[in-house]
Amino acid sequence: MAKQVPIPVEADSSEKWEAQMRKGCLEMAVLSSLWHGRLYGLEILRALERDSQLILSEGTIYPILNRLRAEGLLTSQWVEAEAGHPRKYYDLTPSGRERATRMAEMWTEFSAGLGSLIEPVLKAARKSSRDNGRSRKELLL
Amino acid sequence: MTNDPRVDDYLARLRKALTGMSLSEREDIVEEIRMHIRERAGDSPSSIGEVLAGLGPAAELAEQYRTGLLLQKARRSVSPLLILRAAMRWALTGVEGMVVFLVAIVGYLTGVAFLLLALLKPLFPQRTGLWVGPGAFEFTVRMGALPVSTPALHEVLGWWFMPVCAVLGSFALIGTTKLIQILMRRFRWRTPLAQAMLASGTLAAGWGSLT
Repeated sequence: MAKQVPIPVEADSSEKWEAQMRKGCLEMAVLSSLWHGRLYGLEILRALERDSQLILSEGTIYPILNRLRAEGLLTSQWVEAEAGHPRKYYDLTPSGRERATRMAEMWTEFSAGLGSLIEPVLKAARKSSRDNGRSRKELLL
Repeated sequence: MTNDPRVDDYLARLRKALTGMSLSEREDIVEEIRMHIRERAGDSPSSIGEVLAGLGPAAELAEQYRTGLLLQKARRSVSPLLILRAAMRWALTGVEGMVVFLVAIVGYLTGVAFLLLALLKPLFPQRTGLWVGPGAFEFTVRMGALPVSTPALHEVLGWWFMPVCAVLGSFALIGTTKLIQILMRRFRWRTPLAQAMLASGTLAAGWGSLT
């Protein structure tokens, strides 16, 4: 029986790459989630999860919001909620809106440029997965 | 609910770890986390443990707050001490931070060394200076108990050594500060999200919007 050799280095580096990619997008994602109006921390977390599949640990979002507020990109305000306890709402400042716009433009340009580069890679990957599926079907028949 | 002793204990540890910020800033953070726990836990006391686990250890949460704010202050500050502290903390989070920290250390040490030389010249005039040798460009700064009577070398600059060192030292300090501020703006501060995500196991989740 062939012995299975684990490949931890490759798996680890691709996880790291994914983490770095998500990390780089986080600020843009948080600013964008506030584009339509003020939200409080938990609502931002839910919006990120719902609209971008960006699932964060709950402790991550608050320090980021605090830093963005300190940078003048967000304002915050405690509002007495119907739930019976106050909530701290965050809203974009004009420079926050400007930053979000610039980031969104840069992201679109970047991903469009990269899209044409990775298109052959994706095509080859799809073809390979189709061929594998066909071979499996033939074996079963 | 937030009357749970585990919540009080968590918030007390968070409050204690949130050093280096004003009382109102600290209480604001603690209150926001308290409300988060309250809202997430709802009326089910059994989920308090899960909510606290989701927030991560209080010390780590406080560290994320402190690091973000420290770097924010450092971006605007000209204090080498504050910049060094921020760079040191940044160095723990990745290669970019390490590069900035090394630049800061080398730059500030060079600046301090030149300023020290400027101060030592009047104290040890025979031992502090710039000596040039014959042939190839060769110079030595001799200090302390080292012998200075090598005939092949001769001192240049003389008392000009002091202002030259003072200017070079000041340039090194100011230049390092400016360079670090540029690097901080260029790299942008990134929270240790990778660890947070790894800890919460969210790396397994897809990033569908990219494809």
